[in-house]
Amino acid sequence: MAMPQEGTLRTITTFVAAFGIGVATYIAIADSGGGAPACIAGGSGCQTVADSTYSHLLGANIAVFGIVGYVLLLVAALLRGDLARMAGFGVSLVGFGYSVYLTYLELFKIEAICQWCVASAILMTILFGANAIRMLIYVGRPA
Amino acid sequence: MSGRGAREARREERLRAEGEGARQERRKRLLQVASAAIFLAIVVVAVLIVISANESSGGDTNLEDVSLVARDLKGIPQSGLTLGDPKAKVTLYEFGDLKCPVCKAFSEEIVPSVIDSKVRSGEAKLEFKNFTIIDEESTPAGAAAIAAGEQGRGWNFIELFYRNQGLETQHYVDDAFLTEIARGAGVPDIAKWNQDRKSAATVAEVESTTKEAEDLGFTGTPSFAVEGPATKGKEPLGTPGEASLLEEAIEAAA
Repeated sequence: MAMPQEGTLRTITTFVAAFGIGVATYIAIADSGGGAPACIAGGSGCQTVADSTYSHLLGANIAVFGIVGYVLLLVAALLRGDLARMAGFGVSLVGFGYSVYLTYLELFKIEAICQWCVASAILMTILFGANAIRMLIYVGRPA
Repeated sequence: MSGRGAREARREERLRAEGEGARQERRKRLLQVASAAIFLAIVVVAVLIVISANESSGGDTNLEDVSLVARDLKGIPQSGLTLGDPKAKVTLYEFGDLKCPVCKAFSEEIVPSVIDSKVRSGEAKLEFKNFTIIDEESTPAGAAAIAAGEQGRGWNFIELFYRNQGLETQHYVDDAFLTEIARGAGVPDIAKWNQDRKSAATVAEVESTTKEAEDLGFTGTPSFAVEGPATKGKEPLGTPGEASLLEEAIEAAA
């Protein structure tokens, strides 16, 4: 099977991370006004999730942590070399792990689904997959 | 091939092999670092999960509907056991017993509609008063609600208690259960809440509102009364079976 070119992986992660920054920023802005992101096609899932005690960590909306994570992943995607490969993998692994936990909370604790959170979880999963491939195949090789 | 050419080829081959070996060695080291990064990432995620779980409902995650209650009451002012704008002209009183299953049903099926239509709009405020009729656990439960009210979480406590209510005949209202509810309700100072709920003044308040209910002629819970510019003091409403009846009473009292 043909291995994906590192340039292709970096292009994918650049666009996905940029999109993730947009999603997380929207959630953070919606929360900062005391509201919640608007669920597409109605429903109260986004409101329920935003109002839950799990939506904040250390006093800040978790979307703010999401923005920081996506920015780091964008920087890792734009840079060449082993440090960028390793950083992209490490940050995306943390983001992916926490996204799994948040999805579990939505399904079994909060019992509501927020489409924006699901979108972010999907984006983080793509970023983890692409960064893991990039690290495993290209680490130790010339940039 | 000349002897010199063969030597050059062997030298190039050796250098290529050495370079490849060095690359492999470097790659091996980096993958070892990546393994450490995976371990570190797992630790970071675990720490985040522990912090998140502890911050949510004070470390408890066994209660039902914590977020639902928080959502239903979000944005509505609370003072003591009064929900809504303190300046609202009309007051709807609910005389209830936290152990009463009918009160739980009202809390889930009828009261939310009144809160949405009349309390959230500022048209009326809703005051909960303890009317202890079930058993000896009703008083400490009511006192715990009053103590939560002193920290602005009275209605969160009441609503969360109802949603996690045990069977009427069971004895489940112990310190652990009440503390669990208080934490889930977001009572910020549990030590103060413990002190307040056990104070003689708080228990006396529960007994006082129970007597008030009896003086109004109530015999069961929940019982409602309304007071406003158009009423002479508290006007008993009994136990209306529909939210619309309570809403009409509020409109008539305005």
